[in-house]
Formats: sequence, C-alpha cells, structure tokens
Amino acid sequence: MSATKDYSNNVNPTWCPGCGHFSILRALQIAASRLEIPKESLVSVSGIGCSGRLSGYMSSYGFHGIHGRSLPIAQGIKLSNKDLTVVASGGDGDGFAIGLSHTLHAIRRNIDMTYVVMNNQVYGLTKGHTSPLSDVGFVTKSTPYGAIDSPIRPGILTLSSGATFFAQGFSAFQEELVEIIIKAIQHKGFSLVNVFSPCVTYNKVNTYQWFRHQLVNLQEDENYNPNDLQGAFNTLLNTNGLCTGLVYQRVDSEGRSETNDTPLSKLDLKITEEEFNRLMNAFK
Amino acid sequence: MVNNITILMGGIQGEGVVSAGINLMKTLSKLGYYTYGCRSFSSRIKGGNNTITLHASTEKILCIPDKSDIIIAFDDETIPQNIDKLKEDGLILYDSTLKDDGYKDYKSTPLPMTEIAKTAGSTIMKNTCGMAFIGRILGIDRLIFEESIKEKYAKKADSIITQNLKALELVYNHSIDIQMDHLILTGGDGFSRPLMIGNEAIALGALMAECRFMAAYPITPASEIMEYLGNLLPRYGGVMMQVEDEIAAVNMVIGASYAGTRAITATSGPGLSLMQEGIGLASMTETPLVIVDSQRVGPSTGLPTKHEQSDLYSLYYGGHGEYPSIILAPASVEDCYYDTIRAFNLADEYQCPVIILSDLSLSLSPQTIDPLTYNEDIINRGKLMDKGRENFEAFSFTEDGISQRVLPGTVGGEHHVTGLEHNQLGLPSNDSVNRRKMMDKRFKKIQPLESLQEVCLTKNHKESVLLLTFGSNYGIVKEAVELAGNKYDYGYIKVIKPLPKDQLKDLLDTYKKVIIIENNFHGQLAKIIIGQLGYKDKISSIHKYDGSPFTPFEILEELGGLI
Repeated sequence: MSATKDYSNNVNPTWCPGCGHFSILRALQIAASRLEIPKESLVSVSGIGCSGRLSGYMSSYGFHGIHGRSLPIAQGIKLSNKDLTVVASGGDGDGFAIGLSHTLHAIRRNIDMTYVVMNNQVYGLTKGHTSPLSDVGFVTKSTPYGAIDSPIRPGILTLSSGATFFAQGFSAFQEELVEIIIKAIQHKGFSLVNVFSPCVTYNKVNTYQWFRHQLVNLQEDENYNPNDLQGAFNTLLNTNGLCTGLVYQRVDSEGRSETNDTPLSKLDLKITEEEFNRLMNAFK
Repeated sequence: MVNNITILMGGIQGEGVVSAGINLMKTLSKLGYYTYGCRSFSSRIKGGNNTITLHASTEKILCIPDKSDIIIAFDDETIPQNIDKLKEDGLILYDSTLKDDGYKDYKSTPLPMTEIAKTAGSTIMKNTCGMAFIGRILGIDRLIFEESIKEKYAKKADSIITQNLKALELVYNHSIDIQMDHLILTGGDGFSRPLMIGNEAIALGALMAECRFMAAYPITPASEIMEYLGNLLPRYGGVMMQVEDEIAAVNMVIGASYAGTRAITATSGPGLSLMQEGIGLASMTETPLVIVDSQRVGPSTGLPTKHEQSDLYSLYYGGHGEYPSIILAPASVEDCYYDTIRAFNLADEYQCPVIILSDLSLSLSPQTIDPLTYNEDIINRGKLMDKGRENFEAFSFTEDGISQRVLPGTVGGEHHVTGLEHNQLGLPSNDSVNRRKMMDKRFKKIQPLESLQEVCLTKNHKESVLLLTFGSNYGIVKEAVELAGNKYDYGYIKVIKPLPKDQLKDLLDTYKKVIIIENNFHGQLAKIIIGQLGYKDKISSIHKYDGSPFTPFEILEELGGLI
C-alpha cells in the first residue's frame, strides 16, 4: 500500500497561498496512492504557466515541456511505453489557447491517458492576462476595458470532438476531485478532467465563493446518466458548463488500438540479415 | 556503342512518364548499369508538364550531365521547354499524335506510342511503349522487359500483362527509319543493384537503427520518409503517425524518445521553423532527438518543389537561446542510410538533437546504389542505465558532460526533466552558478566531435585548390572535376555542426584556396566556417539559388572566374 506522501518530492510549490492548484496536486497524489500506481510507472507531463509546475512536485517520472505541448509529449510517452500511467496537466491557456489543436487531436486519438486542465480562467504566471476561458467583460492587464470575445466552452467542445470521458471538478471539493481523477485514470482511452481552480491573485471574479454558488453537483442528481451523450450536452448547456462530476463516459471505449501488445520500448528490435536482404530486394 | 547515355522524358503530369522512367532505371540497374535520375515537377497533382532525366552508365555517377542524348516527348511542352538541354547531335523522339516538332536542326522522328498502346488495348500503356522504344534503342533484349512486366503486374489481371506484352512486341517490331545504332549501350557488369531515393534510404536506416516510432506532418520533399516508415514500422511492431502539425510531431517524438523508443520525425523548411522550440526542449532536457530536414527553396513557402540548401543558418542559429546540436550532411543515397544509423547513435550518445540534413535532390533523385552492408552490431545507446538509485541525478556534472540516463518505468530512477534551467536533479533552479555549469556541461558534450575527420576528400595531388561542398552537390562537383581533367582536389563535409575544426584548419593551412560550393544566396556554409575559423582570404564561394541544382559545366564556368 503506497501512501500519498510517497508521491510528493517535498519541494515547496511556488504557487500563491490559497491557489486552487494545491488541491489538484494533492488529489492526483491521493488518486495515485489509492490506485497503488508504482511511482516508477507514473509519468506526470505538464505545460507552462503556474499549472506547469505540478510535475516538479511529484515523486514520479516528470516531464515539464513547453507551452501548450504537454499532450503531444504525453501521447509520445504512452505510445512508446503503454505500461506507463501517463497524466498530463496544464492550464487553460495550454489546453484551450496555444495547445487547442493538440487537445482536439488527442481526443480523436483516444490514447489511454488522462489530461487534467487546471482552469483558473486567467493567465497567472504572466501576471494577469486574459484567457480564452475568461468571461466577457473580464478586466485584465491585456483587456483593460474588459474581455470582448466569448469564452470557449470546454465541455461542449470536448464532447463534440468525440471525447470518451469528460469530467469536471472543483479545487474546493477535494474528495470529489480524487474520485474523478481515479475514474479518469481507470478509463480506457483519453480522459479529460476540467478543474475549476481559482486564482486568488489575478481572478477576483471567479472566486471560491463564486463557484460555490454557481456549481451544480451532478452526483447529487440521481437521475443524471453520464453515459447519455445527449443528456450530457443538455446539462452543459443548461448549467452554462458550471457543473461538477462525471459528465460523460462512453462505456465501450477501448482506447486507441495498439499495433502490438508489447510496449515499443520493450520490443525485440533484431532484424536478421535475411530479412534485411528481403527489404533490399524490393528495390531491385 | 556508348558507355553512358542521358535521356530526358517528358509529358503531362499524372500520366505516368516519371514512373516509366523509373521502371527503365530499375531495369538498367538490374543489368548492371549505374543510373541517376532527376525529376522536375510542378506543385500540382495532375496536368502541367513534368520530366525525368535519366543517366545510365557503366560507371557510377551521381548527377545528370548538362546535355541529353535523347528527348522523348509525350506532350507539346516537353520539346520547347528542354531543347536547350539537348546535345547538338541529339535525337528527338515524339509521340506521333503530337504536331510535327519543327526542330529541323535536330534528328527527329515520331514514334507511334499512343497508337501502339491503343492497338494493344489501352492508351494508358503509352509510357510502357516509350520505355520499350528507349530500351530497344539502347540495345536491350525484349525478354528483359517481358520479365519486368510480368513481375510488375504479377498481382494484376492476366489481361493487363497480355496487353503490355502485346505493346512491347509491337514496339520491338516497329520499323524505325532513323539511324540509331550509335546509341547502343555497351554491356553492364551484370551485377543487379538496387534503385533508391535518399528518403527511402533514410527510412530504411531508421528501421535498422531500431527506430520504432515516427510522428510527422506531410511536406515536400520529405513525405516519402513517413510513407515508407508508415508501411514498414507496423510490420515490426512500431508506429508511424501523421499528426496535426510539425509542433505535435517533434514533441511526440521527444516524448517517445524520453520513454525509451528510438523515434524520428522528418520535415522541410516550413516544418523545421515550427519545430525550433521543440528542438530547444530536447537539448535542454537532454533527450535524444532525430530530425530529418530535407531542404527546399525558402523562405516561407518558397518554391516547394525546387532544390535549395538554405536551412544551415536556421539550424545553426535558429531557435532561441544557445544549445548544442549535431548536423549530419549525407551526400549520396548510401550516406543517407549510414548517416541515419549514425544519427540515432549520436543522439543517444550525446543526448541532444541530431539533424539529418538532406536536400530535395538527394531526397528525391533515384539512384542505382552499391549494396548496403548489413551489420549486426551497429547500436550504441550511450549512457543508458537499466537501474536507478536514490535521488537519481539525470543531469549530474561529469567529466565529459554526459549524464547517466534512465527510462520511465525504471525502479528507483524517478526524476524530473524540464525546459527550465534546472539543477542536477532536474528541478527548476535560478541559481547563477548552477546556470553557468549547466551551460558548460551541455556544450562540453559535443566538443569531441570537433576533432574527428569529417571531410571526405578525393585527392588528385593538386594541392593548391580544394573544392568543398555538401549534400547532393558532391556528385556534381565530382563530375565537374573529372570533366576538367582532375585538376582539383575536392571533397564534402559530413558533419556541419559541430564543424570538424581540426581537420578544416589543416585543410585551410594546406591549400592556397578553398572554394565552397552551395545552393543558397549567402554562401551559408562558407560564412559559418569563416565565422568559426577565419581564413577569410582563402575561402571563396560559388552559390546558386534559382531552385535548380548546379550542372557540372556551371561549376566549371564559375571556377574559371575564380581561379
């Protein structure tokens, strides 16, 4: 049995006191411990920004990449060694601005891995700039007269791209978040978890208190069926995306079919001289 | 009888002229001739004129001579567009359905290619007819073509084979009223050799180097690498993925390589620009990375189907910050194969990005090659460990700058890597002493390469002028020197970054003049060498940047002005 602390490297996070990201880091560590993932088999891949620091606080394998590209790196890792548990994370900028196309294509590929979006609707590490997930009217240093463009709706976008797993969590609801991450990791295929993670320094609108008033908890609705895609769309539209819990899971998802049962990194790579000659003869 | 011949075949793109030319080259290669082909095509799918010029010889040659012996035309554009490339005593052959060519100064005759094809069953076979006519002119036995037709269409309906054989028979029985006996080729050595393009050799080299993952985005002139590996890799348990863009490609390859699978991506200039940030990431995280850059005309979309060698600056100086990387520059199809294997070994050994620098001519020109050697013991994975230990330092400071590496999944080797400056544990660090030491460590790694012998020289013992080049130019320079009666020493540089400084210094001290020949505006290689070694007064350059490779005579002409 592994303990939560086994997944922590005891480095003190650079996040502001009260930042929602602390809870996500801890939820991931608790989920890993409950799932008893050997820490040598866990790879945390992160993007750039406050969220990107997460991989540097895990005691596991960690890859802190470049802005918006955690998903291509993570998919490469999983395709290379499918025995690994791969959890990518990033901010709303990583997932829905600079890296948006990777998000959609990762959804299409349905590779067996998890993506946690640490969504605070603002660019914190650049010291307060608007995000594609910021609400209209949101004032930042780059939108001094208020954001004009309408925000991307992560849930609708994800589901309409063919996602086989989509859930939402809230940093203040840690136990629910842990359960969601566990389900996401267990899901066969690509699982996307959008976590409302308040930025206490640069987002004075979408605060903990604001979310507590707005969020609908789907787990409290006995009639909610997370395997019904139409229902999931309706719920996202009706709540304006402000709901938590497992929103949708396709039950028959198998993940991307791999060409071989052996992880690529463990294949027998020998090619005999006879085989080589056969390949060469095709050029004659 | 001749011991070499050059034939230009042209027609409407999409009608199979090029594939007919390549089939002819394959047949000649089987008979023991060396061939080299050069394609010209427009950036469209169907329509527009395209040509293949092929050279066949009893000796190995790596370029197309300035002038052709025969032009064979399937459309009206081929002759007017290429008449300047025909020898004075050259022969024009044109499809009898075309209008009279009107080039009265040349020997010319119509050939009923479309007509025979039609009689035999379908006009589609007019290229087969063209190929057969040439074969007949060169004195190749009809049986040889019969065999190759049977082989080529083995999986097709019997009627296709019958029709093609019928066309072949009609071609060989057709009476041609023009004297062509002088074009008969002397016999080949009978040794059957493969015909390959550079891109295929790179892909095969990757497979043999135990690469089992490729992610790429299609682009001319690099796509054949992903096409061939897309066919090969699944057969050996590997994966080739066409991804959303070159940024995804390079980062996915970095991920796969980090997790232990040898991985590759291939692109051309525009894709390379998109990959720059990823290349920096690989160098910062010290992850082995192999990228093929098959150069074409830039900047921007440039001339996508034309030849240039202008990515040296962007590979040397592109990307932000400073980092070590290695650039290998193969000069022949055989080099493409061996250099690719070497690239994977260097990437693992030095834990940094390695670029295989090709160019359009090298990537796409079919060549008869000497057999590639199979070697069991070609893999060097550097300081890759199968065990970890407490507080594993993936970036430890060592004598040679290279740290031990473990793969995710290895018990006790858990560690972090990041594109941020980091300490020996791979955790972010702002410390200025650490920063300096890490920079020194990364650059120290590739220093030993500077003292290797990486200039391949042909000495004619005329040690006053050295012609130095890289990539596909090598074959053209070689031909130019031979045409000029071997008056110069010449060679090509195999490793462009880091420069083989010691050897270059020796050469610059030995020769009175070093002339660097390259396909770009600035003379990039010359400027890079001068920038690092000096010798400004000894180095001069010949450059061409109109989208086509040099011809041997162009080089000789330019040399005339310099020497």
